[in-house]
Amino acid sequence: MQTQPISLHSWPRAILHVDADAFFASCEQAVHPELRGKPVITGKERGIVAAASYEAKARGVERGMRLFEVKKVCPDAVILPSDYETYSLFSVRMFDILRRFTPDVEEYSIDEAFADLTGLRRSFHGPYGVIAGQIQETMGRELGFTVSIGVSLSKVLAKIASKWKKPHGLTLIPGSDIHLYLQKLPIGKVWGIGPNTSAYLRKFGITTALDYARKDEAFVKEKLSKPYREIWQELNGHSVYPVVTETKSSYQSISKAKTFTPPSQDEAFVFAQLSKNLEAACIKARRYKLAACRLILFLRTQDFRSEGVELSLDRPSAFPSDLFGPLKEGFKTIFHNGTLYRQTVVVLAGLKPAGDVQFTLFDDTSRIEKMARVYSAVDALSARYGKYAVHHGASLPTKLQVRHEGERGDTPERVKELFKGETSRQRLGLPVWKIDV
Amino acid sequence: MLHTLNKETLKTRIAEISRFYRERGRMPSFSELGELVGLRSKNAVYKLVAKLEGLNVLSKDERGRLIPRSLASPVKVLGMVEAGFPSPAEEELLDTLSLDKYLIDNPAATFLLKVSGESMTEAGIMPGDMVLVDRSRTAQSGDIIIAEVDGAWTMKYLKKRGQTVALMPANSRFKPIVPKSELKIAGVVTAVIRKYR
Repeated sequence: MQTQPISLHSWPRAILHVDADAFFASCEQAVHPELRGKPVITGKERGIVAAASYEAKARGVERGMRLFEVKKVCPDAVILPSDYETYSLFSVRMFDILRRFTPDVEEYSIDEAFADLTGLRRSFHGPYGVIAGQIQETMGRELGFTVSIGVSLSKVLAKIASKWKKPHGLTLIPGSDIHLYLQKLPIGKVWGIGPNTSAYLRKFGITTALDYARKDEAFVKEKLSKPYREIWQELNGHSVYPVVTETKSSYQSISKAKTFTPPSQDEAFVFAQLSKNLEAACIKARRYKLAACRLILFLRTQDFRSEGVELSLDRPSAFPSDLFGPLKEGFKTIFHNGTLYRQTVVVLAGLKPAGDVQFTLFDDTSRIEKMARVYSAVDALSARYGKYAVHHGASLPTKLQVRHEGERGDTPERVKELFKGETSRQRLGLPVWKIDV
Repeated sequence: MLHTLNKETLKTRIAEISRFYRERGRMPSFSELGELVGLRSKNAVYKLVAKLEGLNVLSKDERGRLIPRSLASPVKVLGMVEAGFPSPAEEELLDTLSLDKYLIDNPAATFLLKVSGESMTEAGIMPGDMVLVDRSRTAQSGDIIIAEVDGAWTMKYLKKRGQTVALMPANSRFKPIVPKSELKIAGVVTAVIRKYR
């Protein structure tokens, strides 16, 4: 029974999952070739490891480790500030290369994507393994770092396949082989099954993914909720989760948060961070032509406790000038003197299309229309000169005081060494190769 | 009369060649290729082959016959066509090249590099200049390349004479480099940019 395959069909569908290897660290090694083969860590400005190269991982460095611990296990580690601009450029490139092979690409996260390869064997005149191999080879050659790829009958299986061998792995799991992989995989390692659920399943004697997959559907229906039934189907080679190609066309809520170090108890500074969150959230809402009906804000303290408040707005808006009043009111109720805060969060909720907003009897329509023109001008200036070229005075303290301790010394190289015509806000959208020629 | 190949025609032609290959199990000959895409002059066919070679869609074997290369499309495959009609002025300008497109052939593989040394000044590449480097191009003799030679990075002309390879500077004060143990070509310099204001 254990040796019986899960599926009699080899490839009813073919879903590919690509996962860049140690992404942030790999990007740094790609633009700084002298760092190849060395233990590289990013996240210096946060004080913790955001990403570690495989060389660093081999020395015992883990994500989330504090930097002083890193210095103990790996004293020669190269510790770099995060350069999200460069990482994003590489991410976009990775997805664009994937799109040369098929338009059905889902950008899952900054360093992962799914692609639907079903049916491509015919147009490419070759097996899925060859197609996947070409994708891997092209990415390696053009990006300058390695990725791991998994191909199988469903997203859950494809993710298992891509993680099977890392780095630079290429694992294909056709229907006939699913059981061979699942029997070696602990149930907790399945995408979507966390420690609580695996503990629960262990009570039924389910320890491996294969144990779970072999359970009959009645058991799964009775003991678990819908998401886990879907995972069960995917493990059994039935693709339930499609590869979703559409980018976000709208939002139900938009949140913007910022953490700062060292934590602060300065009221003006904390309010300034909150104001900047508000402006950023409004910019995003305006970009999608949405207006918010509710404003939520909360502050998180140094010991990780949060306190927040939700306010209803008189009329839907995406204009900071309308929202500063409520923001200040809300802030006064949750800010406590003497408390050290580390993070501010603003959420614009109850979003609806801005075009749907009706004027009520009490609205000052000429003022509202004037504000719309003001923010239209602000958005146009931002498009030309960079985000926050024009901003509210309330967020000025964030420009005068750095967000992270030691940030001046920890600005990413890309921002420090500019080409003529670039500014600290706006730069060319290509990664810069740091070699001396 | 100059006839520029636009993306649509190229994609159609690649699809035709692909179909031939799938149906016949082999690549077309040059004359078959001409018939397939509707080109009557031999010269035009040669030009098309050269372009397709450059795009890594096909290449030639030792006897000069066509063989397929990359299975992937050289351009992004669009799943949906954008709807909407351009204005008359926009129609006229549909084939204009932006500076971006003019300078960058393969956006996913192009990097910026700030030049610091003087070894290529006589080729017009000065310290402080920006060069565009394409990692996906196959370097040919005469190209300016970025390479790692015996562990050190350099920007030089690639000179191939038969089996021997040398890296030539464009500055009389520098000596040619002949790799002793290792030569890794990282990319081809496709443009140099110097902004004055």
